[in-house]
Amino acid sequence: MSSTTAPSGLARARRGLAPGGSGGGSPQPGQNRKSKLSAQTSRTFFWLLLPSVVLLVLIHGYPLFQAGVQATHNGNLIQTGDFVGIENFQSVLASPAFWKAAQFTLLFTIVGVFGSWAVGLGLALLLRTKIPAGGTFKVLLLLPWVVPIVVSSTAWNWLVATPDSLVPSLYRNLGLGTPLFLADPTLAAVTVMIFKVWVSFPFMMMMISAALASVDSTVYEAASMDGATRFQQFSQITLPLIARSTYISWILMTIFCVNDFPTIYLLTGGGPVDATTSLVVLAYRTVFQDFTTGPGVAIAFLMTMTLVVISVLLYRQIRKSSVE
Amino acid sequence: MSTKPSIASSAFSRRGFLGFAAAAASVPLLAACGGGSASQGGGGSAGGTIKFWDMPWATPAYNETAKKIAEGFSGANSKASYQLIQWNNFYQTFSSAIASKTGPAVSTGGGFQAFQFEQQGQIAYADKVIEALKKNGQFDDFLPGVVEPFKTAKGYVAVPWQLDIRPLWYRKSLFEKAGVDVPKDWATLLEAGKKLKSVGAVGFATGSGAGNNIGNHLMIMMMLNNGGGVFSKDGQLDVMNDRNVEAIEFMLELVSNGIIDPAAVSYTTDNLNAQWKDGKAAYGMLTLGVPARVGDTSGDIVVASPIAGPHGDKAALIFPNNIMMYTNTPSQEASEAFLVYYMGQLKELWKQKLMNALPVFKSITEMPEFTSDPNNVKIVKEYVPIAKTFASQGTALSADLAALDGGQALNQFTQTVLTGKTDAKSALQAFESGLKSILKK
Repeated sequence: MSSTTAPSGLARARRGLAPGGSGGGSPQPGQNRKSKLSAQTSRTFFWLLLPSVVLLVLIHGYPLFQAGVQATHNGNLIQTGDFVGIENFQSVLASPAFWKAAQFTLLFTIVGVFGSWAVGLGLALLLRTKIPAGGTFKVLLLLPWVVPIVVSSTAWNWLVATPDSLVPSLYRNLGLGTPLFLADPTLAAVTVMIFKVWVSFPFMMMMISAALASVDSTVYEAASMDGATRFQQFSQITLPLIARSTYISWILMTIFCVNDFPTIYLLTGGGPVDATTSLVVLAYRTVFQDFTTGPGVAIAFLMTMTLVVISVLLYRQIRKSSVE
Repeated sequence: MSTKPSIASSAFSRRGFLGFAAAAASVPLLAACGGGSASQGGGGSAGGTIKFWDMPWATPAYNETAKKIAEGFSGANSKASYQLIQWNNFYQTFSSAIASKTGPAVSTGGGFQAFQFEQQGQIAYADKVIEALKKNGQFDDFLPGVVEPFKTAKGYVAVPWQLDIRPLWYRKSLFEKAGVDVPKDWATLLEAGKKLKSVGAVGFATGSGAGNNIGNHLMIMMMLNNGGGVFSKDGQLDVMNDRNVEAIEFMLELVSNGIIDPAAVSYTTDNLNAQWKDGKAAYGMLTLGVPARVGDTSGDIVVASPIAGPHGDKAALIFPNNIMMYTNTPSQEASEAFLVYYMGQLKELWKQKLMNALPVFKSITEMPEFTSDPNNVKIVKEYVPIAKTFASQGTALSADLAALDGGQALNQFTQTVLTGKTDAKSALQAFESGLKSILKK
């Protein structure tokens, strides 16, 4: 009976079964070995990953923890001070300066992300066509991204800062008055945003070019044969096929814009009269100019939380586009 | 900080930018790293290497000489090392180092830095240094009134070593072109400004753009020049006094008449220097050594005499920069010996014409290397006697002044006035409110 109900030890070994029982509840052939392998693999993975995890915790976790401590205390950069709970967050959220900076950051980010994406997309599509001196053109287009921001901000300052600068002079010669690009609050905000788009579009252009390169040209040929117009090809084929890349670039550019300190600080310092003060500039000033560490770190915390939410939302879009 | 020389702020290096960017991008991290208890180490009498940190106060030649002087120290069984610290994020640099007990034993730095770190228990008082300077005769050589501001109830927080003053400068040829005399008071400044404008010149050059604090200093200077000031005699906030209101009303009048460049609100230090170099700026308040700074050796740019306010007051803004000692030292005795030694070597810096600041010692102001520049002589003769600090109308320096000096409130106030879209009382009220919110923390 045993010979008919249970395989011999040799047979079991051949089939990969463990010695012993044969009845209900025992693992199916192969399953036990797989689970043992998984446990071993898990342990190996654990030990291999441990140094990295420890490093990550030290590098990211500890400062974040300390930042949390600073944000809930009223001390300074040297001494932690007294625990004040969420008082720093309350004072920051009650401050008109915070909301003004948040408003500018939102606008700056929207214009920065979509402005650079639109310009980058246009140029990426243009670069797919055969144009004279295309290689040189591509290199020139990359310059705003390659040139150090301190150089480009100085160059922009020369172009627009004084009434005698090149661009205001051109306006004056055209009879359009003499706009004070960095002295007028509204114009300064617009100038900083245009500067951001100018600095960022090469990144977008490269991301989109890479995505476009993976699109098979026969798709367009087929669409063309089916009578699709250029616009239909763009909206129904190009945009959906680069959607994943687009969402990734939007996430990255959103983070770049929200955290962008040098573009704003080097060109306007956040002025005039706080017209171009973003949250990161406000956080910097609060900590290092007003020496109020707690509220400054609280601003940084609120920024981080906002970025996490935005990133998660956009990441979901990426997953959605992958499924589709 | 106002106390840094403008030459340092104008030369915006890539390294400097990287420091800026890194600081901004890592606000939580930097703040986090500052956590911990105060350092109270050192203070013994054993020898060791005294770490001296210094700022780029002038050209690199200054730092080379300062390094040689520092490393020439040998006393109290000690020697000294020299470390250059950039102005960008200097407060964070000092704070982080002090928190991790890797900071200096002795340093120069921001004008109010000693008071800031004193609050945090990091400063070693300099009373013994002052005693030593009294013994070796240097104390009597100090210009009047430069040491007293550093005396607190617990002792001297630092020792002054140079004076960063803000004189008025003018370009002779532009005044000749406009056919007007150099202003003697506010009324003639207004009239001269109008005529200078008619010949395309800027009647009162200033700027408050990124990294430029000249406009901030001008606002305070004009208040002082009218007998006002941000603080009362007993050190309380006193922003809304009548003299301040009158001073800001006058500034707004200069703005509305176009005597102050309408784009000045956004001018960086480079923009402002360019106005002087290009012969556009006719008159304005700046630091020492403007001709050399803007690269104009024609002799056309010279120091103007101080102007009188409508009530006859005269004043100039001054920042008494200082050298401070820290509690974290291998030997307090060695720190003190080093500071006494360094004060005795200061004349070498002016002898080699490396400084864009006034000396604190009378003997240095009489050296031929200093008096060969008539602008220097005029500043010592006419500006030093009427000079006042940020603490005016009071005289005591404090940590609060650091928040006033480099803080958002003053910069926002200045920019509001320079845009001209306000009235004096509203601007001052917002300024006072901003200051209160910072100083209460």
